[in-house]
Amino acid sequence: MGGLSIGKLWLIAYRDLGRNKRRSSLTLVAVALGMGLLIVMSGLIKGAVDGSVENAIRLQTGHLQVRAASYDEEKVSLEWKDLLADPDELAAQIRAMAGVRLATPVLWANGMLTGGDESVGVQVFGIDPLSEFYAPIREAMVAGAFLSPDDRSGLLMGQRLANSLELSVGDRISLVVSTADQQPDEALFTIRGLYSTGVASYDETRVFLPLPKAQAFTQTKGHASAIVVLLDRQNDADATAAALRASGQQTQGLRTLTWRDLNQVLLQAMDASAVFLDMMNLVVLAVVAIVIANTLLMAVFERAREMGILAALGMKGRQILSMFLLEAGTLGLAGIVLGLVLGGLGIVYLATVGLPIGEAAAAGEASNMITYGNVLYARFSLPDTVSLSVAGLVITLLGALYPAWFAARLEPIEALRAL
Amino acid sequence: MKVIQLQDVTRVYRIGEVETQALRGVTLDVKEGEFGAIVGPSGSGKTTMLQLMGCLDRPTSGRVFVNGKEVTQLSPSKRADLRKGTIGFVFQFFALIPGLTAYENVELPLLLIGEKAGERRARVKELLEAVGLSARARHRPDQMSGGEQQRVAIARALATHPVLILADEPTANLDTENGRQVMEIMQRLNAETGTTFIFATHDPRVIPFAQRTVELRDGKIAHDAQNA
Repeated sequence: MGGLSIGKLWLIAYRDLGRNKRRSSLTLVAVALGMGLLIVMSGLIKGAVDGSVENAIRLQTGHLQVRAASYDEEKVSLEWKDLLADPDELAAQIRAMAGVRLATPVLWANGMLTGGDESVGVQVFGIDPLSEFYAPIREAMVAGAFLSPDDRSGLLMGQRLANSLELSVGDRISLVVSTADQQPDEALFTIRGLYSTGVASYDETRVFLPLPKAQAFTQTKGHASAIVVLLDRQNDADATAAALRASGQQTQGLRTLTWRDLNQVLLQAMDASAVFLDMMNLVVLAVVAIVIANTLLMAVFERAREMGILAALGMKGRQILSMFLLEAGTLGLAGIVLGLVLGGLGIVYLATVGLPIGEAAAAGEASNMITYGNVLYARFSLPDTVSLSVAGLVITLLGALYPAWFAARLEPIEALRAL
Repeated sequence: MKVIQLQDVTRVYRIGEVETQALRGVTLDVKEGEFGAIVGPSGSGKTTMLQLMGCLDRPTSGRVFVNGKEVTQLSPSKRADLRKGTIGFVFQFFALIPGLTAYENVELPLLLIGEKAGERRARVKELLEAVGLSARARHRPDQMSGGEQQRVAIARALATHPVLILADEPTANLDTENGRQVMEIMQRLNAETGTTFIFATHDPRVIPFAQRTVELRDGKIAHDAQNA
């Protein structure tokens, strides 16, 4: 630096920022708002992504599922060859494995509900009402009571489905299913309770029966479609799946799927949304860069004479360049810190209170796949915050590069003439 | 020893389509220790001549020597290096860095040449004392009068023991009393340190301070005389 230390350059840069307080603070606010917005946005998306995956795992797929190798999810097959013959025994074995929190058999069937003059297609879930896997449903009950295992005529449905059919607790309703030998069968059920999870696909298209009743109704005789497994730790899914696959005859003819396999469509949608988020981030960062570039360019014009004096004193172009970059860096850092505070407060608020996205949005087409509830909770992500902060600083410096370069190549006499 | 030699120097400015001949063939030597004035009406080429002497600009034709060394075709970076230790500037406007105190302004050229901290401190103190502003060391430019600012500028110009100080209309923005003070300080420092001072002016009140008067008219030297 030809004897002029970074510290002294920074001192000049810093004092320059202080000299035009209004301009500096407006720029600071712009950077801070940009950063804050990015952090809140990424927190919301993170919340939506993680929340969707967690919801999907907790309400639907579990961490692992064991099914018959021939089971076709699309067809919701009820043929015995496609089902698990002795689900209770298999569930007990899986439960005995290390790291397994619970394993519960489930039977899936397609059905048709008729209430009044309306019919609606539903997915029928035959479940073990005592399993902890259904704790989220139990917690989401809004009317009536949860199923008991020996209930032979009751079912649960989502409040939204009940509303659309104008039904309430205690009403009787006709359910038609296609049985194991592909014959339709009809039975009358009493609505025992209504739940509302806030997840549209869950609240509108599902009915729950106790497993034994579902098996009898569909003539699947003790069979189940799958064992749904929750683990103590989600990260153990692959290892536990591998252990299951390796565990001998009991698992022959079976297929073990992890939450990643089971939520492929959802995860792909998440990846797509991550790309979209990156693009949004770039746009916001570009705006921040332009604000910085504009501010500094104004500063350069305003201080052309000062640049001329510094040049006359023998300061070189690259020292002047460094000075402006330091000025931008200081402004950028301060803006980022302020933005982190703003964004942090935003995240704390949105993580505790949440962002209501509205019934309509939650029930919208898109949310059939992305299964978040109707309140979106933000989540803090350290890696995202760090990378956004670094990106913010880099982009600030990039934005400063043009004005700084402009200042550095000012001819001393031109600069001095700018009175 | 010749501090400055201008040999048939011309300088043409082009602004758009318009050409302005600021200097039309000037030959001039400045000897070490001189206290000289360049006078003439506005637009006669005074500032251009100072800028060429100060290596702030390059001539359109002709040659410029500083301390016997040709500087005509030096790169901007080389010229910056040369200015750093050799030439001090005092401008018409009080050309201090607004964000820095009087002390820091005087210190700046010393930082640029990489002077050690202790020597820097001593030199800045000595210079502020020489221009009578020791008490103002911690003041920023906007807390000082025009005369005081110009005296800080003189102290700064002298900081690196340059062989030459170029002052462009140093008193133009000062009242008579402050103008006189500034001229007296420059004159005294010239006498005490032997530093060469060249100042451009059209202020008749300061011309009598000069030992030599070079008069420019339309970009040419009209008159060059040693004063009695």
